[in-house]
Amino acid sequence: MKRALAWTVATVALLLVFAAYLRPDMAMALATQLWNCF
Amino acid sequence: MSALPASVRPQLSMTQVLLCGAAIVTLSMGIRHGFGLWLQPITMDRGWSRETFAFAIAVQNLAWGAAGPIAGALADRFGAFRVLIAGSLLYAAGLVLMGLATSGLAFTGSAGIMLGLAQSGTTYAVVYGVIGRNVAPEKRSWAMGVAAAAGSFGQFLMVPVENWLIADFGWQQALFLLGCVSLAIIPLALGLKEPPFEKLTGIQQSVGHALREAFAYPSFRLLMAGYFVCGFQVVFIGVHMPSYLRDHGLSPDVATTALALIGLFNVIGTYAAGSLGQRLPKRFILSSIYILRSVAIVIFLSVPLTPWSVYIFSAVMGVLWLSTVPPTNAVVAQIFGVQYLSMLGGFVFFSHQIGSFLGVWLGGKLYDTSGSYDVVWWIAVALGIFAALVNLPVRESAIVRAAPAAA
Repeated sequence: MKRALAWTVATVALLLVFAAYLRPDMAMALATQLWNCF
Repeated sequence: MSALPASVRPQLSMTQVLLCGAAIVTLSMGIRHGFGLWLQPITMDRGWSRETFAFAIAVQNLAWGAAGPIAGALADRFGAFRVLIAGSLLYAAGLVLMGLATSGLAFTGSAGIMLGLAQSGTTYAVVYGVIGRNVAPEKRSWAMGVAAAAGSFGQFLMVPVENWLIADFGWQQALFLLGCVSLAIIPLALGLKEPPFEKLTGIQQSVGHALREAFAYPSFRLLMAGYFVCGFQVVFIGVHMPSYLRDHGLSPDVATTALALIGLFNVIGTYAAGSLGQRLPKRFILSSIYILRSVAIVIFLSVPLTPWSVYIFSAVMGVLWLSTVPPTNAVVAQIFGVQYLSMLGGFVFFSHQIGSFLGVWLGGKLYDTSGSYDVVWWIAVALGIFAALVNLPVRESAIVRAAPAAA
């Protein structure tokens, strides 16, 4: 039970952070930075 | 003849070591990972060239690698918690001074040297020493995988967090806030406070002897050679892939998604590699990681470049990204014991950073001379095969050395 809960929390945390990368403002900011580096 | 003890009686609970160690590397690896986001606001505000910023970050990476063995030796000798506290203070001061620097020299001193030194005192090598000494050998690789996964998660998490801080507070305030955040390492370091190693074991191996022993041992040199390749491949791809994709006409959001996928799968890969290290010989895991990287690159270069080929490649490379960290450090602990694990881990990491430097530099240099990244991609493939081969003969058993003469 504890183990399943830990895996669930970890999976949700990873997916939430991944979703943050896909937000348009974040994608825009990162893309601008990446493109400006080169 | 006697084998060095692979472990000592743990003085701290595994849960405590893992919670504190994982939180420390989450912070230290995470904070540094988003520094690229400051390039544009700082250079625009200060009127500097990008070269000024890039030079400071390059110095930071080299300082991190070069100071790693020293920080590790200090941690092994005087206690990891002292080095972590000093590293945390240096991290906070470096971030504040980075925000206040008005000249390129001051920026290099703060963002480059100070933060590089801070990272050497707060990242894997120092924390792994404590894990090695306080987690039983049968769980050590897994525990190192947990800590590495935490560091990978920190990298993954902090990029959007730092982007939000810059957008909401401005680049300078964001650095000051991160400086405050880095001070959280201090209370966490107290959770890693151990008694001196000699008092636990009675072993009095000197630093010089430990170094001579390690560098005379072929397997240590082979591990260093493999880790050099890890640094070369990872940093070449991380830094140059966006411009490679741009050159091939892919849109900016493909590169952003690719980096997010690498970050996501890196967390999974590091944890999996640590767990596998409990069940399989670590040299086979390392060898497999390096050969799979080469195979992934060859397939990526051979198929038509589309957003989906980039996403699949990024996910695969993400799994293989920092997955070398737990098995490499676990093998060092297995061979040489845990007394000087941080120092020896620091030396292995130094070779990783030299590889990183060459990956970035050679990527740019060969692109400028040949007009494409093709040559560097194939160098990365060849190096992957080389690393796969050199890890195969690594002997994982504890080194056998003469027992000290009776007094």
